[in-house]
Amino acid sequence: MSDNDTTEARTDGGTGIVPPDDETPTWSERKTRSQGLSRLTYEYFERARREDQDLRQQSSYVERDVLAFPAWPHEMIRNLALTSFFVGMLIFLAATLPPHIAAPANSSQTPAVILPDWYLYWSFGLLKLGPLNPELSLLGGQKLMADRTYGVVANLVVVGFIAIVPFLNKGSARRPVEQPFWGAVGVTGVVFSITIAALSIKNLMPLDANLLFDLTFLVPPVAGFVAYAVLRSMREGYMFNLNRRYYRLRPPK
Amino acid sequence: MADEFAKGFGILSGAGLIWMVLAGWYRTPSFEGAQLSGAILVESPTVYDKIGFFLMDAMFWFAVIGTLTFWVLIPAIERARATLAERGE
Repeated sequence: MSDNDTTEARTDGGTGIVPPDDETPTWSERKTRSQGLSRLTYEYFERARREDQDLRQQSSYVERDVLAFPAWPHEMIRNLALTSFFVGMLIFLAATLPPHIAAPANSSQTPAVILPDWYLYWSFGLLKLGPLNPELSLLGGQKLMADRTYGVVANLVVVGFIAIVPFLNKGSARRPVEQPFWGAVGVTGVVFSITIAALSIKNLMPLDANLLFDLTFLVPPVAGFVAYAVLRSMREGYMFNLNRRYYRLRPPK
Repeated sequence: MADEFAKGFGILSGAGLIWMVLAGWYRTPSFEGAQLSGAILVESPTVYDKIGFFLMDAMFWFAVIGTLTFWVLIPAIERARATLAERGE
């Protein structure tokens, strides 16, 4: 095991074999012990830390301050543990709380409530913007387009705005507090996506429909304003220089 | 402090999971009715059913009280003790 001791820097993980110092047991030594999980965990992390330290000392890297753990066994054991836990939880829940299986769909009868999947509620809500469709006096009180066409165009407006944002702000801020205005724009958009989704299920909401329609457009700017105020107040004491240094530590593109 | 959080969180999720399963068995009469909070409709409960009823309530209150203990009560006592020790010096 210790024959592999070279002065050459290994930064890629490689075999990851590093001669143990006095305090760090080898894998086989650790296997024979039975001192409990906490001790084992401590030794595992101590070994990992030691290997990491050795790699750092041998390394010729200057800029990168973290060389990371090798994928095997460090990362894989953790990933397998997490995977086992969630698979076990799926099996446990499926066995103890089997899902309700409804009657088969009747294709000759329209259901009472028709809804898209929940992640499309915002788009479904945009189809219900009929009250915003202006009746133009120029056209003699006529609407320029039907309400349903208006709803589809509203989708284009929203998607278009989202597509334009990266061109308006290139996103050099690492934290919202560095650019409170754009943070507030983001909060407004997120809250609007929630309120417009609530509008799309207005017949299920315990709220007056007109009030809900007004709140849909009033709540997002208010939330954005509050977010802007909070972020502005957070600027005091925020260490911009420290953050810039952190940014420089990242590997160049 | 972090240990206290983990203990409280473990109690909340572990006891909550067992309570949820038992309440899903005994307190969820139908898919479209009350969820986890309906009345128990078992006609003639067996011994296992009775154990289940007891565990369901026990786990619910264990989740509530255990979490409050580790997240509120013990930190409050620790802080009070630290404050008292500071004043004593």
